[in-house]
Amino acid sequence: MLTATTLALAAGVLALLAVVMGIVLGWADRRFHVGVNPTVQAILAALPGANCGGCGYVGCREYAEAVARGEADVNLCAPGGAAAAGALAEIMGVEATESFPYRAVVHCSANEHQRLQRTEYRGEQTCAAANLVSGVQGCTYGCLGLGDCERACNYGAIRIVDGLCVIDYAKCVGCKACARACPRNIISMVPFKSDRMVVVACSNQDTGPDVKAVCMVGCLGCKACARLDPEIITVDGALPTIDYDRYDPHDSALEKAIEKCPRKRLVLVGRPTEQDLAAVADEELPESIQADFETTVDHTQWRG
Amino acid sequence: METLTSLILIFIGAALINNFVLHYFVGICPFLGVSRRVDTAFGMGCAVTFVISISALLNWTATYFVLRPGAPLPAWVWQLAGGNPETQIDLSVLSYIIYIFVIASSVQFVEMYVRKFFPSLYRSFGVYLPLITTNCAILFGSLEIMKRLQDPTKLWGLHEALTLAVGGGIGFTIAISLMAGIREELDMADVPAPLKGAGIALIVAGIMAMGFMGFTGVEKGVASAIGALLP
Repeated sequence: MLTATTLALAAGVLALLAVVMGIVLGWADRRFHVGVNPTVQAILAALPGANCGGCGYVGCREYAEAVARGEADVNLCAPGGAAAAGALAEIMGVEATESFPYRAVVHCSANEHQRLQRTEYRGEQTCAAANLVSGVQGCTYGCLGLGDCERACNYGAIRIVDGLCVIDYAKCVGCKACARACPRNIISMVPFKSDRMVVVACSNQDTGPDVKAVCMVGCLGCKACARLDPEIITVDGALPTIDYDRYDPHDSALEKAIEKCPRKRLVLVGRPTEQDLAAVADEELPESIQADFETTVDHTQWRG
Repeated sequence: METLTSLILIFIGAALINNFVLHYFVGICPFLGVSRRVDTAFGMGCAVTFVISISALLNWTATYFVLRPGAPLPAWVWQLAGGNPETQIDLSVLSYIIYIFVIASSVQFVEMYVRKFFPSLYRSFGVYLPLITTNCAILFGSLEIMKRLQDPTKLWGLHEALTLAVGGGIGFTIAISLMAGIREELDMADVPAPLKGAGIALIVAGIMAMGFMGFTGVEKGVASAIGALLP
């Protein structure tokens, strides 16, 4: 029964409750005040907040706390890149060592037609499962092309093209999710000192004839590159390794090594240069571009 | 003896027979959201039990003295203001807003207290406390208590209200822990892709609710068993 009496009393009760709770909570806020570390707050504000885990900590807050304690370097945040590293260095009052964005690089470049001795694989359509079975393809080092990395990528930066994973460097943030997902460990993180980097696009540790038997393009281990540019390239076993600490994007010896490689397995990856864009500028785009819809059903693993 | 029997019945009724989650379907969002691992689910259950008890204590007090029909405090204020003592005053309309208010404030208070004096406890279940503020199981507990404070001839005392709250909280803990145990096993199972995640969780919840229907009517047996035990 809503009468004037009830209304007046209701207003009174609510006002009284508001005053009492306000006083109690206000008192408690002062009495139980916990000082939060302003450094942690400042670092957290400077980080992008992607919570990707690329730095090795559980989330941005954990990383911020580790930095504030002085236990972690300031330049570990891959999505934040140089900007975040600089901001963190300023907050912590340390000198930021020059940091380069780490990006994923696929150490295999053979599409499904170039990989030999392939047999039809009808099992679970994941690399992790296919990797347990022998005889899916001849090369036991190369890409399986079933897209574990594509599914692991939260940024849509990986596509499977002709049975080989291809990284879109405009989208890659360097979170390492693909490198962790790949059962054959052919994706590694490389510091991108320039927009385009030279990488060894093969993981096969075998020598010439064995590689030729399983792949049309794989590295033969001929060591020609290491002879031309011994500063940067070393061949340990049958596969060249590039020393990215000493890597210089304008090294003429490296250019020569790229040219001399008989299988052309030293390749440039990264964002396209202006010359590349100019080369395709004349090509006509189709009149209508289809939207690239993606649903969760596309990646379904259930096959009846 | 009557009191003890009725308290046991209230407790079993709230925890099993009329389980908050599986009979009334309140508190579903933490029940589905925080039931991936048994230890976090158990922590959530304990936090809910704690908050539901505190809010039951406060809301019973508010209802008994202020909100119920014929409550002493408004009548006293009314007479002090010179009103007619025969007027029936019923502030039940305020129950929802006051319950929410009290729950939110008390959760806030508890959060500050725990954060100050038990940092490790705050780390483990402090994150759930703000979630619990909007958990409908807490409000439901208070509303159940309000129902028992309408008839002036048989009002519930504080001990009965608290028993219902603790029973309800323990029932929630049982339900969410069972759910988490099942969902941990489900990770290993070959679930069809369209049902993965929320789909199979809801199916499991439904089957669990049907299982808990089996407790219906147990109270008579329990009452006679208690009667036999305590002559």
